[in-house]
Amino acid sequence: MRTMLVILTAAVIGLGAYSINMHGKNASLQRTVLAQYTDSLTDASEKLSHLQRAVSQSLLFRDDNAIHNELDSVWRLSSDVRSSMSNIPIGQEVSNDWLSYLGRLGDEAKKTAKTGDFKAWREKMPQVSTNLQALSDEWSSATVDFYKNNGKMDVWLRQVDTKNPNTTFDNVHKTLKDYSEKDFPLTLSESDWQKKMDLKALQDSDITEKEALEKVKQLFPIIKDATFTVTKSSDTAPYPFYHIQFHQDIRLGYVDLTEKGGHLISYLVERPVDEARLSQDEIMKKAEEYVKRLGMNDVAFVESRENHQAWHVTFARVHPGDNALIYADGVQLKLAKDTGELLGANAMEYIQAETIKPQTAKPIDWKTFFDDDVKVQEVKNIYTDNGSFEQRLCYEVIAVRDKNAQETFRVVIDAENHNVLKVEYLT
Amino acid sequence: MSRLFQAMKKGVMIMRLVSIVFAFMLGISIFAIPQNDAIAFTEQQISRGAYGDDVIELQARLQYLGFYKSKIDGKFGYNTYWALRNFQEKYGLPVDGIAGAKTKKTLSGFSDYDEGWVKAQLNAGNQFTYYGGTPLEQQVKPNTGGGGGGGKSSGSSNNNGTKTQVPPKYTDRDVQLMANAVYGEARGEPYEGQVAVAAVILNRLESPEFPNTISGIIFQPLAFTAVADGQIWLEPNERAKEAVLDAMNGWDPSENALYYFNPKTATSKWIWSRPQIKRIGEHIFCS
Repeated sequence: MRTMLVILTAAVIGLGAYSINMHGKNASLQRTVLAQYTDSLTDASEKLSHLQRAVSQSLLFRDDNAIHNELDSVWRLSSDVRSSMSNIPIGQEVSNDWLSYLGRLGDEAKKTAKTGDFKAWREKMPQVSTNLQALSDEWSSATVDFYKNNGKMDVWLRQVDTKNPNTTFDNVHKTLKDYSEKDFPLTLSESDWQKKMDLKALQDSDITEKEALEKVKQLFPIIKDATFTVTKSSDTAPYPFYHIQFHQDIRLGYVDLTEKGGHLISYLVERPVDEARLSQDEIMKKAEEYVKRLGMNDVAFVESRENHQAWHVTFARVHPGDNALIYADGVQLKLAKDTGELLGANAMEYIQAETIKPQTAKPIDWKTFFDDDVKVQEVKNIYTDNGSFEQRLCYEVIAVRDKNAQETFRVVIDAENHNVLKVEYLT
Repeated sequence: MSRLFQAMKKGVMIMRLVSIVFAFMLGISIFAIPQNDAIAFTEQQISRGAYGDDVIELQARLQYLGFYKSKIDGKFGYNTYWALRNFQEKYGLPVDGIAGAKTKKTLSGFSDYDEGWVKAQLNAGNQFTYYGGTPLEQQVKPNTGGGGGGGKSSGSSNNNGTKTQVPPKYTDRDVQLMANAVYGEARGEPYEGQVAVAAVILNRLESPEFPNTISGIIFQPLAFTAVADGQIWLEPNERAKEAVLDAMNGWDPSENALYYFNPKTATSKWIWSRPQIKRIGEHIFCS
């Protein structure tokens, strides 16, 4: 009995010591995390003031060099504040609004520096500067309590509790939403892009659930005897579609079809895949057959990638006028390495063809365009987005720089004004 | 004397015959090497986009001859393509950047390939090269926690050490990180649901309302439950990696969603206010 008591006492003491130790470690960890959050918060608040000043200072100059320096500061600071904001645990809504507002401000500065349209900047920014000052003040008052939490993480988290409808950030959120719409309204190109992404512009007539199923069986005969479950998209979805899940033997998957016109959005199957039996050449031939069977006769092969179970093959629509590839109207296929079965098709971007304005391609002398040790290997005409949601006719150049090591680059150059739109390092 | 002379003459003839046979055998053995080694490659023709053991061998053999200077990773990308074209040009073969039977046979004839050694380095994640004429032990730098194939990056790898092939804007690190997130968030969900979770991360990458890196999105405070409860650190399975690959290649079963939640466990009132798109498994996807 006495021995038992001794053992029990020792166990209780040991457990107590362990608990104190763990509690100490936990508290220390929480303090470290809280210190990091507080640092990000302070950093964001300080840089927000600097950003407001930089916007204000950019309105001082008529001199191009001087305004360029300030635009650089606006772009850099907006990116810095964005980064700090994304590291602070505040509600998702406020965080989203901040990131969006700051991103748009930075983009505007970058675009102005690139285009040299200082007039538009000078017209817009006085109001933005005033709004930014108001936001900065609102932010300071909303975050003041975060510094009074006695180093306790739970106090911080209570303040941003998403279950609590009245957080301290409510005012910041309302002001941000208001200013975002006023200061940076969507451009026409952006709305077009969004509409395309949301498949809102489809004009075809609605198909029924039965017609949707028939279409699936016609497009993918391999699952014609599957068990199907059809559901419609939620009423609040940006565009209506049928979500068709199926199960047949070893195959499980889904097909999404638009309600308007029954266009294929995507198809994906999961099934066990055996060892590769088909060659790359055979896979590519099958991929060409599949796109045709899916009714996509106006596309051409872009690239393919092999992984351990399947090949992913990309096609893009060919412009009927100049045969340039329209990358934004892409189709992706997934083929099993064992039998070449079509495991997936994604046509979300293909459904609505891009509107392409007529453009001219002015030739470029590659010898003067690139450095001496760069060799142009391939040049292809393509259409791609220029960063302002406009499709531009471009030269896609595969260039090799062969100095110490052989390096390959993909350079996309606007064919009309010769602006470099993209540079990618290829391995 | 004449017998002795005749015997000597016979001896010389035998010696000559032996020399000729020896030379002939040597010749045969030299010319036989390419044919024996060619068996090492599979019979399949490979070109840009291919991946796996054949590409590892192709890169190693090209590096052995000094044509390939990048890391041996089993991915037939542009660096392999140029190296192969240069080899074809130098050895009088049709220059098409495709490793067909003739190219493979010629390459095997002029290079050596120690498959066991190369695979061992890839599996160990060592940095290494495979140049001919330099002892192999001088061409390897043991792994200190990084990736394989002579590279410096860590990332997802399969059994033979090769990495996944993803569109150029993503990296092996992105695949690994996203697979961790998908596995932590949706391992009990149907495959479609896993691809959808990966697609949500990529949709956020395109959205101005979220951080502009995959890591920034995943680790944004309060954004993902798996980060908060530590499940993101579980080792993802191949299914989660495959789901990430599909999303990176364009599939989006979420139909452009930016959020998802489990209605049984969601505590945020705000998330219910988001416009819903569709339900997959236990998750509701919203814009």
